[in-house]
Amino acid sequence: MEDLIVAFLRSGTPIVYVALAGVIAQRAGVWNLGLEGLMIVGACATIVTIRLTGSLPLALAVAVLLCCALSALLWFVVEILKANQIIAGLGITGLGLGGTALALTAIFGSEAAVNAPFGLPRIGPAFGAFGGLSVLVALMPVLVFGTWLVLCRTRFGLRLSACGEHPFAARAIGVSPTLMRLWALLLGAPFCALAGAELAAGSLQMFSVNMTSGRGFMGFAAVIFGAGHPVGAALAAFFFAFAGALGIRAQLLYGDRVPSALLLALPYLATVAGLWLSARLGRRSTASGPNELGRL
Amino acid sequence: MTTQLAVVFRTFAFILAALLLCALIFAAVGLSATETLQGVIEGALFRPRALDHVLRWALPLLITSVGVVICFRAGFFNIGAQGQFYMGAIAAAFAAEALRGTSPLVAVPLCLAAGMAGGALWALWPALLRVRAGADEVITTMMGNFIAALALVHVTSGPLKDPSGSGQATSSRPIDAAHRISETTGTSPVILATAVLVVLLGWWLTRRTAFGILSGLAGRNPSMVAWQGARVESIAISAFLFSGGLAGLAGSIELLGPNGRLASGFLPTHGFTAILIGLVSSLSVLATVVVALFFGALASAALYLPIVAGLPAAAIEIINASIALFITARADAVRGVLSRWRSRWKT
Amino acid sequence: MAGPQPAGASAPALDAGNVTVRYGSFTALEGVSARFEPGLIHAIVGQNGAGKTTFARVAAGLVAPAQGDVLIFGEKVPPGDVLSARAAGVELVHQSFALPPSFTVAEVLQFVSPRRGIFSRKAIERHWQSWLNDIGIDLKADARIQDLPVESQQSAEIARAMVSDARLLILDEPTAVLAPEGIERLFARVRGLKARGVTVFLVLHKIREVLAVADTVTVLRGGRLVTGPVATVGLEPSALSGLIIGDSAGTIDAADRAALTGEGETTHASSTPPARRPGWAGALRIRRATVPGGPYGHGLHGVDLDVDEAEIVGIAGVEGNGQRDLVAAIAGLAPLTAGEIEIGAQRFARQGLAARRKAGLRIIPFERNVEGLSLTSSLWENWCAARLVGRSLFSPAGPRALRRDADAAFQAWDVRYRSPDQPAGSLSGGNAQKVILAREIDAEARLIVAAQPTRGLDIGATAAVWNALRGARDRGAGVLIISSDLDELFDICDKVVVLASGRSVGSFTPPYDIRAVGDAMIAAGGHGQEDLAP
Repeated sequence: MEDLIVAFLRSGTPIVYVALAGVIAQRAGVWNLGLEGLMIVGACATIVTIRLTGSLPLALAVAVLLCCALSALLWFVVEILKANQIIAGLGITGLGLGGTALALTAIFGSEAAVNAPFGLPRIGPAFGAFGGLSVLVALMPVLVFGTWLVLCRTRFGLRLSACGEHPFAARAIGVSPTLMRLWALLLGAPFCALAGAELAAGSLQMFSVNMTSGRGFMGFAAVIFGAGHPVGAALAAFFFAFAGALGIRAQLLYGDRVPSALLLALPYLATVAGLWLSARLGRRSTASGPNELGRL
Repeated sequence: MTTQLAVVFRTFAFILAALLLCALIFAAVGLSATETLQGVIEGALFRPRALDHVLRWALPLLITSVGVVICFRAGFFNIGAQGQFYMGAIAAAFAAEALRGTSPLVAVPLCLAAGMAGGALWALWPALLRVRAGADEVITTMMGNFIAALALVHVTSGPLKDPSGSGQATSSRPIDAAHRISETTGTSPVILATAVLVVLLGWWLTRRTAFGILSGLAGRNPSMVAWQGARVESIAISAFLFSGGLAGLAGSIELLGPNGRLASGFLPTHGFTAILIGLVSSLSVLATVVVALFFGALASAALYLPIVAGLPAAAIEIINASIALFITARADAVRGVLSRWRSRWKT
Repeated sequence: MAGPQPAGASAPALDAGNVTVRYGSFTALEGVSARFEPGLIHAIVGQNGAGKTTFARVAAGLVAPAQGDVLIFGEKVPPGDVLSARAAGVELVHQSFALPPSFTVAEVLQFVSPRRGIFSRKAIERHWQSWLNDIGIDLKADARIQDLPVESQQSAEIARAMVSDARLLILDEPTAVLAPEGIERLFARVRGLKARGVTVFLVLHKIREVLAVADTVTVLRGGRLVTGPVATVGLEPSALSGLIIGDSAGTIDAADRAALTGEGETTHASSTPPARRPGWAGALRIRRATVPGGPYGHGLHGVDLDVDEAEIVGIAGVEGNGQRDLVAAIAGLAPLTAGEIEIGAQRFARQGLAARRKAGLRIIPFERNVEGLSLTSSLWENWCAARLVGRSLFSPAGPRALRRDADAAFQAWDVRYRSPDQPAGSLSGGNAQKVILAREIDAEARLIVAAQPTRGLDIGATAAVWNALRGARDRGAGVLIISSDLDELFDICDKVVVLASGRSVGSFTPPYDIRAVGDAMIAAGGHGQEDLAP
């Protein structure tokens, strides 16, 4: 039971972080499909920098900076050049996936997985079976709460939310939705970096090409499932992760009877189920949906 | 005519911007941009049988992208071309396995039909979720891609596993050699004819039918079409089915043609590239022909790069992603930005 | 323009100097110069498209003029800067309210206030509730904007404007959404603000209202200043309406003209309907129609409604009292949970809009630019949609023939356009509405449902729409008009039915009594939810 919970926390935490970034962006009116790309850049930057410099703070700083740069690029393309949010987001994801593969070949000569000598600090043996979890797992509830506090209980959060829900309301009091969306994306970028760091350096200390395998998109789905609320999105992320942990568990127990590939599909199926459920419940978030293909 | 010219000009301008971004990224990881460009051009155009190689990649992409155009025109972001492509290939592989030893005149059309059915079915559930429940199709089709990739792993390591195969990358038994419609490298009249047929059909469907006009209107403004009394659900589901069916057709062509067998994780960027082709074509079926040749050339160069220029194939992914980033930018927005900057300098 | 003047009580509240605003190639305001005294109620009137809203937005810093400048109480405010304008004391209450629908009243007030830091919901609700009580606005601080009736939303918007101690409050067409009694309450509040020293600008539509509340009036037409500000004392309504209408004054029927400018009280339909002919079975018959409240608002609760052939019936009511449900139910887009609908003596239960169109139903929907037209699509595509929906989905459709037919229809309806390939969004509002009329009004039309058919149109276009609907009526079609403008309904309708809280609460025939209709509108608590279309 305990190791199931550990596996569950371990697989859920990166999705929660990336979902928080998605919530902040969505509240400001950006449907960020670049989360997947930002996350993998965070993962790659953390492992590669640790490997090259041996410094964890430096690694996290590089990851955060790269994510901020990519987020700013996304903002420029979407808000200034008025590109379609979905396609531009997928472009950022493609840049992240391709760019990390390219970086590996450029630095290490091949696309093979890269190991780091150490990863994120663990919470320590005092916590028994949970001691192997990284500090980011422990920090996660704090950050979920903090995000909620900032988004729902400060004037800044109200103004940010107004930019997504009713941009004219923001403009009418002199708040620029365009600028606010930049802040939102830059605020979310460190969360993406941490999501990547947790995924690659939380327990594995290893980076491989395409290792996010859709977790960024699950984070995005968690935003929808969680109705744009930080706590809701975190719970949704854990719901997806739970399906994943269950799948891995089932693979160990029934791997000989049930095709393992299908068990691995459980988190994706859970994501689809989550979307279906939230659409059924009519919990469409108040901001306009991501579909704006109309002007293509 | 002038507006069409403006669209072409805009497209080129944004592709140029994308290539500049690529050059920056290449420089950042220490690759020479000029060398890469040289490698790409050489790989695409100046190697032996270059046209064959380009067509080999361009034709299946063209078929998938016609489907993408039909669906995107109707206003649905079917990001699931990759999964529908895989499901088409899987369905065709099962059909080919069942039809082993029969005449190719029977087997090939049946396999292609199976591929279309497989792809269409894989597009049907996101369509129903979207139309009946309102679940966003971007994420459902995206998840469909991951599930289909896992299904491919399952099929190639289970039901259709090649017993002689070894190692991690699993694959199916090769299909009946008589059922192949092209050799491993290259293309064939059958594939070319299919692609031409698909383009003509796609053009007719989008430009000369009630479906084409109504789905185009629905894509730009679904509520207006609903207030006109159009059967919005039928339009949506048809669009998804066409899209999935054509992606599935491309999958079965890849199976019967160049690949000859299923391999887990084969052609992982096919769907995304096809979506790009549709977008770069400004959702015009006829334009996809030219654009597919361009991306076919890039894909052909991607295989050539590591061999000859010692460059990673991921370079092509970067080029594609940068184009995706910029391609939907609006020309008037750029003009607005420029004039804002100009007026700022003036004051 | 004279040099900067010392700030002080004697400086004009607003001093606009040669203000010109362009949106692309369209000039919304041209060389408008006017000075407005502080401490008064100033009305700004004009047709739709005259530049009233643009003028208000320039003053509030939301729109940057291409030329000219604005002085607020003698201080020059940087153009297009909302924060500076707000700092100078200008606040604008928008026509379609600028409040995020999911916010509570307290959150809205917190969101505009200078109060930073982390708050608790209870604390801000307490703080803003006492503030609301102090300034005498009757609102609950914990109510969500989306649950408030229209009039309360307007109060919330006014409260929002008062948070930063506005010295110059601009209300953009505040009366358009209110019932007659609500208008009186609003005017009382405006007079109260004046008594507290606030300068108030009212963008208004009706001369009646101008004369009731304003100290001065300013008339805009076609983006230019016609006159003003001039004192309203002793002003003749007919002179004012002449200034508003301008050159086309002679071409419009006198009764229409009075209704268009709200000169006096509109009471009577302008013509008597033709006598019933044998074979007519009624254009629309609705019995006990019930629709659950939902995405369209209030829902319908046992509504009965009859529209005969050759009859124009109007639906009056404060917006959000079930009008959208009614139209959606007739169209078959909102399924009835009880009751029945007959169109042209044919009963419809679950059949969709395409079948109803075949029976002669035509619809001019509420939102011209969303439900009526696809602005990014060509004119001919917009026009032919109605013809294609009856066909099978995969039947061939030749663009050339459709384009030609569309061209002919547009010519017949006198649409001003360059080419049928031009996008619908490039047309003016009046022309766009004519495209819809060309599509929806034909010989086979038996019931035409026109929802807010003249909203946002200038006087010439409005008169054209009225005449088109009258023409359809005279050819034997039944017409159902939904409008929030009572003058419009009284002028052209043979019968007016009042909808309140999703119920039909009264039916009126000429001569109309605005008091009686107004009472019916609010009698059943008909406040309604606003549909917060941005």
